[in-house]
Amino acid sequence: MVGAGGIGCELLKNLVLTGFGEIHIVDLDTIDLSNLNRQFLFRQEHIKKSKALVAKESAAKFNPHIKLEAHHANIKDPQFNIEWFQGFNIVFNALDNLDARRHVNKMCLAADVPLIESGTTGFNGQVQVIVKVSSPISSSSDSNAYKVRGKRNVMIAIRKRRRKPSLVGEELPVHVRTTLRLETINADDPQVRCSGRAKTRRLSSITRKTQKMVSRHRGMPNAMAHIFTAKEIKSLRKESQALNSIRQSMGSDDFARKVFDKVFKDDVNRLRSMEDMWKIRKPPTALDFDGLSKAAEGISTSMAQQDQTVWTEAENFAVFCDSLKRLSTRLQKKQAQDTEAAAPSVLTFDKDDEDTLDFVTASANLRSIIFGIEMRSKFVIKQMAGNIIPAIATTNAMTAGLCVLQAFKVMREDLNRAKMVFLERSGARVINSDTLKPPNPNCSVCGIMQSRLIVDPTRATLNDLVQDVLKTQLGYGDEFSINNEVGTLYDPDLDDNLSKKFSDLGVKADSFLTVIDDDEENPRVNLSLSISEKSLPEDSKPVQVPDKLHIARKPKVVPASTTNGDTNGHAEPTGTKRKRSLEEDPLQEPKRGKMQMNFNTDGFLINDVVIADDSTDGAIVIDDD
Amino acid sequence: MVERTTTPPALQGPTAKEKKYDRQLRLWAASGQQALEDAKVLLLNSGPGVVGVETLKNLILPGVGNYTIVDEVDVTEKDLGVNFFLEESSLGKSRAEESCKYLQELNPEVNGNAIQKSTESFVEKPSVLDNYTLIILIGPTKDSSILEKISQHAQKSSIPLFYVHCVGFFSHFSVQLPAQFPIVDTHPDPASTQDLRLLNPWPELLIFTREKTGNLPFQPDHEHGHVPYLLLLLHYLNVWKATRDGKAPAKYSDKKEFAAMVAEGARKNNAEGGEENFDEATANVLKSLNPPSISSGLREVFESDDCRNLRKDSANFWIIAHAINKFHAAHNGLLPLPGALPDMKAQSSDYIQLQNIYKAKARSDFAEVTATVRQSERDLDIKSPIEDKEIEAFCKGAQFVKLIRGRPIRVAKSTEPLGWSDRAEALSMELENQKMMGLESLLPIYFAFLALDRHHDEISRLEQSRREPSPVKEIPGARNVSGAVLPVPNFAEAAHFYTPAVDPEKEPKPWPRFDTAEARGTFDNVVKELDRADGAELHNISALTGGMVAQEVIKVITKQYVPVDNTCVFDGIASKTAVFNI
Repeated sequence: MVGAGGIGCELLKNLVLTGFGEIHIVDLDTIDLSNLNRQFLFRQEHIKKSKALVAKESAAKFNPHIKLEAHHANIKDPQFNIEWFQGFNIVFNALDNLDARRHVNKMCLAADVPLIESGTTGFNGQVQVIVKVSSPISSSSDSNAYKVRGKRNVMIAIRKRRRKPSLVGEELPVHVRTTLRLETINADDPQVRCSGRAKTRRLSSITRKTQKMVSRHRGMPNAMAHIFTAKEIKSLRKESQALNSIRQSMGSDDFARKVFDKVFKDDVNRLRSMEDMWKIRKPPTALDFDGLSKAAEGISTSMAQQDQTVWTEAENFAVFCDSLKRLSTRLQKKQAQDTEAAAPSVLTFDKDDEDTLDFVTASANLRSIIFGIEMRSKFVIKQMAGNIIPAIATTNAMTAGLCVLQAFKVMREDLNRAKMVFLERSGARVINSDTLKPPNPNCSVCGIMQSRLIVDPTRATLNDLVQDVLKTQLGYGDEFSINNEVGTLYDPDLDDNLSKKFSDLGVKADSFLTVIDDDEENPRVNLSLSISEKSLPEDSKPVQVPDKLHIARKPKVVPASTTNGDTNGHAEPTGTKRKRSLEEDPLQEPKRGKMQMNFNTDGFLINDVVIADDSTDGAIVIDDD
Repeated sequence: MVERTTTPPALQGPTAKEKKYDRQLRLWAASGQQALEDAKVLLLNSGPGVVGVETLKNLILPGVGNYTIVDEVDVTEKDLGVNFFLEESSLGKSRAEESCKYLQELNPEVNGNAIQKSTESFVEKPSVLDNYTLIILIGPTKDSSILEKISQHAQKSSIPLFYVHCVGFFSHFSVQLPAQFPIVDTHPDPASTQDLRLLNPWPELLIFTREKTGNLPFQPDHEHGHVPYLLLLLHYLNVWKATRDGKAPAKYSDKKEFAAMVAEGARKNNAEGGEENFDEATANVLKSLNPPSISSGLREVFESDDCRNLRKDSANFWIIAHAINKFHAAHNGLLPLPGALPDMKAQSSDYIQLQNIYKAKARSDFAEVTATVRQSERDLDIKSPIEDKEIEAFCKGAQFVKLIRGRPIRVAKSTEPLGWSDRAEALSMELENQKMMGLESLLPIYFAFLALDRHHDEISRLEQSRREPSPVKEIPGARNVSGAVLPVPNFAEAAHFYTPAVDPEKEPKPWPRFDTAEARGTFDNVVKELDRADGAELHNISALTGGMVAQEVIKVITKQYVPVDNTCVFDGIASKTAVFNI
């Protein structure tokens, strides 16, 4: 069981009382006060303790015959390798983020262990069986789910993707989205070009992005450096110097002014000077520190406690300055205790850390003023920035119960009757189900070919993989790339790594390589290789694929569909709008939005009619708040 | 600023309680939480009693104010295997008290009580039920008279009653709401709350339209591509009306022609080959050009006697509904404007101005409704005025207000056939329709639970007749069993011959149609499972059912969202549910 949170607690209780023999619980999280309204294995006195350990102890009392083991650890840790996963008959995902979900999904497919995936948001929930099968049917993947039904799936996709759902969900005008796009383009400009793939992740938070950019810049293999132009590096350096000088002034009286001027004045003015951007958009207006200082005179710092009201411009300014002061005091204290060797301490955003939340609220509102966006209360911003998903005991109870029912079917190998199940709040249809879907050829997890790659760590080089395995054995042409989590290791323009050993490239046992075929005519589906290290006889090839592989070709690209979410399950909230409105002439379908029948595999109509979601303006809507 | 220590002070930010309930406050807000904390829930437990306890768990965690468990039995070994809220040390002790104790640990803010009594002795004087705001009764009851008694009293006292069965892989619950159960805060889909009133524009909106579209053909490209689609539609409506006796397009063909006319106005000599705002306008023609209408739910409210004739003791709901009905009548079928504006292609300043025009109109409509409410309060001499907030919420959600008319729970008696009165036809249709589509209706699951209730009633009656050899008088219409000691019938066999039959006199349409092989097949399968389980609960099914029941309980207590109306069955083999209005 991966995750001992809302669903996890319910699931553990059900598994224990159903009589499962041995259960391992993995969770890296600790218990927080806001968990107690649903995670019933935890009490007040458990706050700050490991979820996995407390859950184990609480549940163990109820069935002494069951072997329970708790791991207070990240499921992505190397100890949980494919072999470890193979030790289980069934894996339950009860996670709250897409990254870990994807990881477990990948590991389970590689280890060939059935996975019961689940998630909830508010009154809605979903359970799904994911099994690797050799036959073309019955296998399913989490990405698939996003596409099956419009809104519901998008909601879950959001939750998994850890995007800021409410930002796009709260019926904000187009302008907000525009601004979001702009901000990220601006913040990302140099490194977006660094990796084509980064573009698809544009909407993720700027902060995280910046951190990533820095770390990528630092740890980047030399071979990739050429992708930056000299000009870009110069501008990066200048930017970094400017930031550094502001950082140095932390603690001084004009620190707030310096930060303020950089973020709310200079950057804004620079953005404004790019005239091309403002041809069709309202240009931003920079803020004035002195003017606001004056307006904010006499505003009490206790203002920050009023989390239900929307603060005025001056109030936001006051909270901005005050929270910045609080944060810098904390950071300086923390850094004073730093040892020489370690990297300097940082403060990270936590929605439950009032200082950081005040700062984010005030800064976000000040930026909103710059871009003419409606401001929000601290309560609402906490939900947006903290990615808070409403959660209640009832939905978790139902979802966990459905997980166990699906597990029965998987364990009886009765996959034809296993279902994908949805919970909905509407009174007319409490639970809905759908049959399992075959793999989606465009999905990054299931629409791929998987194989092990046996590597002799003492001898194997990247070239052995490229020449012997991919080109000679599997018949790849010249246009393909080899990638891992860090980035691209090889493509036709990047051959510096060919002579390097796997170990020198940081490719370790139990990690994955993805081979992407860029053949223009008829590319193969992506090939995912899980690395196993083994000493191979001197006279054999140092890199080998143990199985005979038939790698399918990618299907031809289908025009953009009307559902939310692109073919990779990456729901993009914007961008396809115009295309859609052109494609869909509502006048052709006067009955649109009325009824839509849903059939399951047995050809049975699922009990209820579903009101087709006709508000497909691309906005992501959270149903229940 | 005060110098801070390393840990931030606890004084700042939301209270611990708000933090604990944060994730649910985002679903039902402070008002829903208050309602939950004011609630007093009664669980009348029996059988293995797991589903009842699991339901309570899901109410205690979010902070229901008060719960009471009535349960007759002591804890046995069997209980420990299925009930999570008992421990080894509970053996031999009162199950009500022990489960109450362990449930209480979940949330110290909740007040729990236990009463070791059977349901029948507890409700001997049914007025005891008036101490509670909601009742959860676990079936089957020992005999039909107990269910009947509780159901009747709950109706009389307007206490919501949940009747729950959970046996083997199947479960069922029925909700008996008060005769009138209005819900204002139904949480409709945000997209559907948009009433743009394009066919009835008001002066400010028309002035703004003229301002932004008066010069449409000569506008520079940028402005032309950014006229909000609402204004485009209003502009072209004026053009249309000018040549058609002032009439807006009403028929489908007219609307299609109108949409073509709007589309014609778009400039196509640009990179995109069109304009997004015009695309939006044509796409919204069908949706936005409908004459004002009200939902069937609201119509039902307006037509209700309580809405037409206010009394001094009328609930706030009716006083506001009355005022909104007056507004509706005075404004030619319009409802107060909700004031929300959809996302659209526009220049920021225009969008904000448009937003303000809509908000201002919504405020003035709200003021008009409030004035009517205040007048009613004066007329009826009501001392405590209704809060503005409540009136505003009603104005915003008027279209989505829902009135549920509670129906009594069906009581299956061994002595008389069940009557289906006004539901006979609809339920018969349900079976026939599903059959026509080659589907399996889940309705027979409900019948099987009725058969189970009837069977318990029969056994109880037989046992009683053994003790008292005279005919059982208190049950009207009972057959005379003459004190003969009869063998206890086997449920599966009895159920097979038991059909919730119809009285052909009262219900001319033959129902239920057990002559369909499908319905009979499902019924027999469920009966077989209920018989096999012999009243036992599977923890997992009970936990799941407890989740469903608690979900609906919360909706009823908070008067938010629309609860199941009124019977839900769950098939744990197919992971399917169905809801029927019985």
